[in-house]
Amino acid sequence: MSFIEISNLQKSFGPLEVLKGLTFEVEKNDVLAIIGPSGSGKSTMLRSLIQLEEVNGGSIAVDGDFLVKDGVYSKPIDSKKVVAKMGMVFQQFNLFPHLTVKQNLELAPKLVKKERSQDYSLRSVELLEKVGLSSKQDEYPSRLSGGQKQRVAIARALMMNPDILLFDEPTSALDPQLTKEVLHVMKKLAEEHMTMIVVTHEMEFASHVANRVIFMDEGSIVEEGSPQEIFSAPKVQRTKQFLNYELYE
Amino acid sequence: MTYEYFMSMLIPMLEGAKATVLLFVLAIVLSIPLGFLLTLAVRSSMKPISFLAQSYIYIMRGTPLLLQLLFFVFGLPLLPVIGEYLVLDRFVAATLAFILNYAAYFAEIFRGGLLSIDKGQYEASQVLGLTKSQTTVRVILPQMFRVTLPPIANESVSLVKDTALLYAVAVPELLHYAQTVVNRDFTIIPFFIAAGIYLLIAFALTMVFKYLERKLQYD
Repeated sequence: MSFIEISNLQKSFGPLEVLKGLTFEVEKNDVLAIIGPSGSGKSTMLRSLIQLEEVNGGSIAVDGDFLVKDGVYSKPIDSKKVVAKMGMVFQQFNLFPHLTVKQNLELAPKLVKKERSQDYSLRSVELLEKVGLSSKQDEYPSRLSGGQKQRVAIARALMMNPDILLFDEPTSALDPQLTKEVLHVMKKLAEEHMTMIVVTHEMEFASHVANRVIFMDEGSIVEEGSPQEIFSAPKVQRTKQFLNYELYE
Repeated sequence: MTYEYFMSMLIPMLEGAKATVLLFVLAIVLSIPLGFLLTLAVRSSMKPISFLAQSYIYIMRGTPLLLQLLFFVFGLPLLPVIGEYLVLDRFVAATLAFILNYAAYFAEIFRGGLLSIDKGQYEASQVLGLTKSQTTVRVILPQMFRVTLPPIANESVSLVKDTALLYAVAVPELLHYAQTVVNRDFTIIPFFIAAGIYLLIAFALTMVFKYLERKLQYD
């Protein structure tokens, strides 16, 4: 049994079918990159994993616990446990603007896990150091660059000690320089064997950091495999087309 | 004009200003929380509650405050059957009208404030495991309050000036005393004094809100 098992995931917005029966697995320590054109359902799929979207059919199980089984969601007390195993990083960072960097990190451990202040305070200092932002702990997010904001967002997600980190186009709002500093942190996490699912347009990252790649189009998985398989020898015409466009246009 | 004469005008007017300030304080302290409850009611997923709250806001904002004042002070006692129990002190009845009227305006201000908050804030809170009430109290309200401070300051200054409507329901307040002296002594000076007092109150309010804005600044 795999760490994360997703089978026949279906989701519609009204008459529009966004996810047409996705099935895939993620193993522990995998770094899975999900690539594909805009509107292919990548983000919706990722958001479904952490229950920001409700699916209409299919199953999601993490570590043997079902979030949703054949389209029926587990009781809130159980689904909460599954969701709590995951952290999420958004394209638009979604930091809390009225809290300082350190307060952003510490809000959830304090309120949700009811940790003692010396515990979460120690961890937030460590994590800020890890993302290279120790000097910014008392700044408000508005004083940070996009890359710094995203690194804070990653640290904030790590504060809850998730087993899995989900990234929804984490660098799409950033220029190349800032993208680099965020990817650097993500690479470090990958080296520490964090399980990550990354929806991205960064082909560099997908080919060099990820150990598996899924190419999605129009709500379906078109092709999946190792980065070598997908990038060097794609089997499906649609994948070739997309990669040509992404890499050379 | 002698000092004694000036004081003979000023002292009753200051007495009147007490009523003005008391009404202002009561109205602002009670209408803001009531307005927020109304906002929550409008946003409620229970349709009848939302409908009632929206209708309430529509009526309070769509009819003159003066009409509402007259209704509460002179109209309520005329209601059949229950009217005799609704003979309130005129100041109390008028204060009630102000609170109910301003709550509707504050509700709209808060609704606008909530609309300005990005849905990413709710999503980030959700994936971090915060409950709905934790999200509201710790994430949404502080941001909403910051965004709505300028319009709240604006409404507050309006409220100071609207207290002069008490004149119409014969509750003695600042303007009432000014007018009395004007009639008695046939002089325009009390109007200037009254204007000065209103401006002073407005100035103090502006200072308070400026301080709050600076204190709550996070950008």
